[in-house]
Amino acid sequence: MTLQFARFIPWLPIVAAIFCALCCTKKSWRHYASWICLASVVGSFILSLMAGSIITPGKEAQTVTFFEWIHAGRFQANFHYYFDTLTIVMLYVITGIGSLVIWYAGGYMKGDRGYARFFMAVSLFIFSMTTLVMADNLLLLFLGWEGVGLCSYLLIGYYYDKPSAVAAGKKAFIVNRIGDLCFILGIFLTYREFGTIAYEPLFEALADMEHATGSVAAIPFLFMLGAFGKSAQLPLYVWLPDAMEGPTPVSALIHAATMVTAGVYLIARMMPMFVLSPYALPVVATVGGLTALFAATIALCQYDIKRIFAYSTVSQLGYMFLGLGAASSVGAVFHLFTHAFFKALLFLTAGSVMHAMAGQLDLRKMGGLRHKMPVTCWLMFAGCLALAGVPLFSGFYSKDLILGDAMAAGLNGHNPWMTVLAWMGLFTAFLTAFYTFRLWFRVFWGPDQCVMGDDHHDDGGGHHPHEPHEMPWSMNLPLVFLAVGAVIGGMVCHEWMTTMVLSSSAGEALSHGGTAHHASLFGMDVHSAVMVLSIAAALLGIALAAWFHLIRPSAADRVKQSYAGLCDLLENKYFVDELYDAVVVRPLKLIGSVCFVIDRLVIDGMVSLVGFAPRLLGLTVRPTQSGSLQGYGLSMVVGLAIMLLLVTLMWGY
Amino acid sequence: MTVALYIASVLGAIALYLMMPKRGYTPVRLGMLLGAAVMGGLWLYLAKYLPAMTGLPSAAMGYYYLFSFIAVGAAARVITHTKPVYSAWWFVLVVLASSGLFLTLSAEFMAFAMIIIYGGAILVTYVFVIMLASDPGNAASTTGGAEYDRLPREAGVAVTVGFVLLALLLGVFASHSEGDAVYPQNPQAAAVRDIQVVATALPGRAISVLAEKSTGEIPATAGQIRQLENVERVGLDLFENHPLGLELAGVILLLSLIGAVVIAYRRVEGADV
Amino acid sequence: MFEPIHSLALTHYLITGAILFVLGLIGFVTRRNLIIMFLCTEMMFQGVSISLVAFSRYHLNMTGQTFVIFVLTIAAAEAALALGLVVLLFRRKHTLDSEAWSSMSG
Repeated sequence: MTLQFARFIPWLPIVAAIFCALCCTKKSWRHYASWICLASVVGSFILSLMAGSIITPGKEAQTVTFFEWIHAGRFQANFHYYFDTLTIVMLYVITGIGSLVIWYAGGYMKGDRGYARFFMAVSLFIFSMTTLVMADNLLLLFLGWEGVGLCSYLLIGYYYDKPSAVAAGKKAFIVNRIGDLCFILGIFLTYREFGTIAYEPLFEALADMEHATGSVAAIPFLFMLGAFGKSAQLPLYVWLPDAMEGPTPVSALIHAATMVTAGVYLIARMMPMFVLSPYALPVVATVGGLTALFAATIALCQYDIKRIFAYSTVSQLGYMFLGLGAASSVGAVFHLFTHAFFKALLFLTAGSVMHAMAGQLDLRKMGGLRHKMPVTCWLMFAGCLALAGVPLFSGFYSKDLILGDAMAAGLNGHNPWMTVLAWMGLFTAFLTAFYTFRLWFRVFWGPDQCVMGDDHHDDGGGHHPHEPHEMPWSMNLPLVFLAVGAVIGGMVCHEWMTTMVLSSSAGEALSHGGTAHHASLFGMDVHSAVMVLSIAAALLGIALAAWFHLIRPSAADRVKQSYAGLCDLLENKYFVDELYDAVVVRPLKLIGSVCFVIDRLVIDGMVSLVGFAPRLLGLTVRPTQSGSLQGYGLSMVVGLAIMLLLVTLMWGY
Repeated sequence: MTVALYIASVLGAIALYLMMPKRGYTPVRLGMLLGAAVMGGLWLYLAKYLPAMTGLPSAAMGYYYLFSFIAVGAAARVITHTKPVYSAWWFVLVVLASSGLFLTLSAEFMAFAMIIIYGGAILVTYVFVIMLASDPGNAASTTGGAEYDRLPREAGVAVTVGFVLLALLLGVFASHSEGDAVYPQNPQAAAVRDIQVVATALPGRAISVLAEKSTGEIPATAGQIRQLENVERVGLDLFENHPLGLELAGVILLLSLIGAVVIAYRRVEGADV
Repeated sequence: MFEPIHSLALTHYLITGAILFVLGLIGFVTRRNLIIMFLCTEMMFQGVSISLVAFSRYHLNMTGQTFVIFVLTIAAAEAALALGLVVLLFRRKHTLDSEAWSSMSG
């Protein structure tokens, strides 16, 4: 069986998007949109599974030709799809998690005015994202890259009558532009240096190189900036927390599970290029490690459920970049995979809570919800355990792999900075466990209290809006699947994932670098030692959260009072938004107003001056245009007489 | 001769300007007298140059003076009369006089076509429209028509420029006719050409129709043939040399018919007619 | 009967035609009554027609007279359309003054 059928993976969703757009036109058709979208994405998932049965580890990467896209001189960018094991893993994540989230969203968005519009954008997103991972060249990848950015913008601003949502959409778009500009500059540079932007010839050319020199060394840094923008790393992470203005399924699918991992995918895909530069990967690791710690500290003091998870996402993405930087692309992609499950689960359960509380997201205004929403409670518990990295849960395996690889890389290569980053990662694991369970305890345990939100738009099923309620099973069932993935995904998929990633371009690039880990820490194998440490960190974090938020809430208050300044700093997210506002936005606005004045006075003045001269000329000639027919006739006769006179005089008749 | 024409132009311009309606007193009669004098003087002066054989019968030349005098005088009244209806009637006189001029040129068909079409069709339409569109408030007025009929615009400039143009034209005519002796062409040549035309246009009946004495050959002398009538010549020329123009003329007439119906049928908002 | 005429005789007719043409022109420019303006254009046609017929005789050629037929055609068409328009304009403003329609002034 050939792979020809795989070309339909992106095209099923885009056909669905067209049909969903048609559904927008009529109110009675609206409810078909979710089924159309779900059917197409499930179809894509099945096609991905079929493709996965062909592209197994050890097989050559295949290119599925589709059509010639851009062909200008020597430049060629075709709509061809590139399949290797990394592509397959990403397709599983996108279409699999996508199907479950869309299934959930079918119930979650019920009764909303823009029901069909939502599913149209989601279908378009699935198209863009699959195109991104299936692209056979960088330009097609960039097409998908911008496509997901667009869909993200559309979905963040989904409640377009809400000013904060509109502002968040704009912020996401603009911040991403910074990264995207660097990315496309990187593509230009790649073409200049290698004469091609298709993967296969590019990898062949890279395989022959020993060290990156000159411009080639700059390309990874440009790609890196693009990835940092899309995957919300320092310093471009600011858009992701605000992106939570979109509907919760969007947060789960786009801003946790799939789109934000595009940067990880990009670096993993371009790993052959990154390993050539001696500085690229350490920079990635540094940024990833710092982001992980930074975002985790912010998450400690937030009160908005979705924002906590958003910072958690930033933090986990930081882990992935740390893994990439430590040359552990297996760990990074593995964490991407498990994170997709448990973070989607967490977001969707948070969405259920929000749904039940009529839009209420403030931790301080809820508590003891486990009686009212038992299923959601235990589903979120599974997700929290996975995120906190409790042994046997999926997050544990992937996070441990990253930290172990980072520690090993630091000790093996006598690179103290990498060791520091690994220790920071371990500390972050402790913080992660703490803020995760802080949230869970405060929402589902503690004294019963619920202050309902004022949001009535998602009033599904005609329930009484003043009483939190359990979700129907049509919405909980997809969560169960996600929870199963979050619980056993790490255990079951560990081996499979390792072989899959190692047989892709990401793994091949590293294999000849030699990553034999034989260092030891505390007299143990590095991986075992890190495992022990991270288990300890996770359990310590959970215990501390339980102490502060379940057993002795007053202790939390005391701590908060004694470190009021620190808490204030964290609650306000280190004032980064304010800093950006002062450093970037205000100067820009100032320049803008200066330009405005110059434009008004100088440019417009010049234009007016240019316009003034003809007007003056016109003023002198205007009286001749009397509008009187006979006046024109008389001038004609006068002209005729003059002409005849001239002719007569000249020829002497 | 040229100088005489120029002088006549200047005097004619003065005469016409005198006749033009003015806000105060209009010396119409003075202008008419001056104009008549100028015309008469010009004709007398020109007739002096005429050779004995003009190609026209001397009676025709006499009628030429009469008709052209009428035509020019009537034309002057058309543009100077303050009442539109009178202008129209004076124009009828212009048409009749120019028909007479056509007769002196032995263009009989044109003469009568002119009377029928202009005098019969077009002028009647004009008079009808003048009746239809006249201002009811001014119909009974004895001082003559509406204000826009009583006062011409820019009469001085227009008369000056017009007569400059005229003087130039007359100068050109005069310089070309002086001492010109293209006359006479062979009259027989025209007859032979006629026969050729008919022979190609109407094969089979050419000679018997044309020749007074049917000899079955192309007649050699002018006396032997009956020349074609004016109507026949015009018809032959029209259908032989200008069939496309004839068809186009038909199309134009049809279009103007449709156009007139469309225009007349349109309702004007705010109109009470 | 049908003979060429002397060029001086031709000049006579041309002079008459020219005078009629110029008088029509002056009338078109000076008269403010729309109907009379069109009447004056007809008079210019008359002048041209006389010249054409005279040339026809001078050259012993029928084309001049044929052209007069076309001139008549155009004159008739023009009269039909122009007078229809004049009636339309009169209905709109209740005046035949050509000065009333000067809305195209600059």
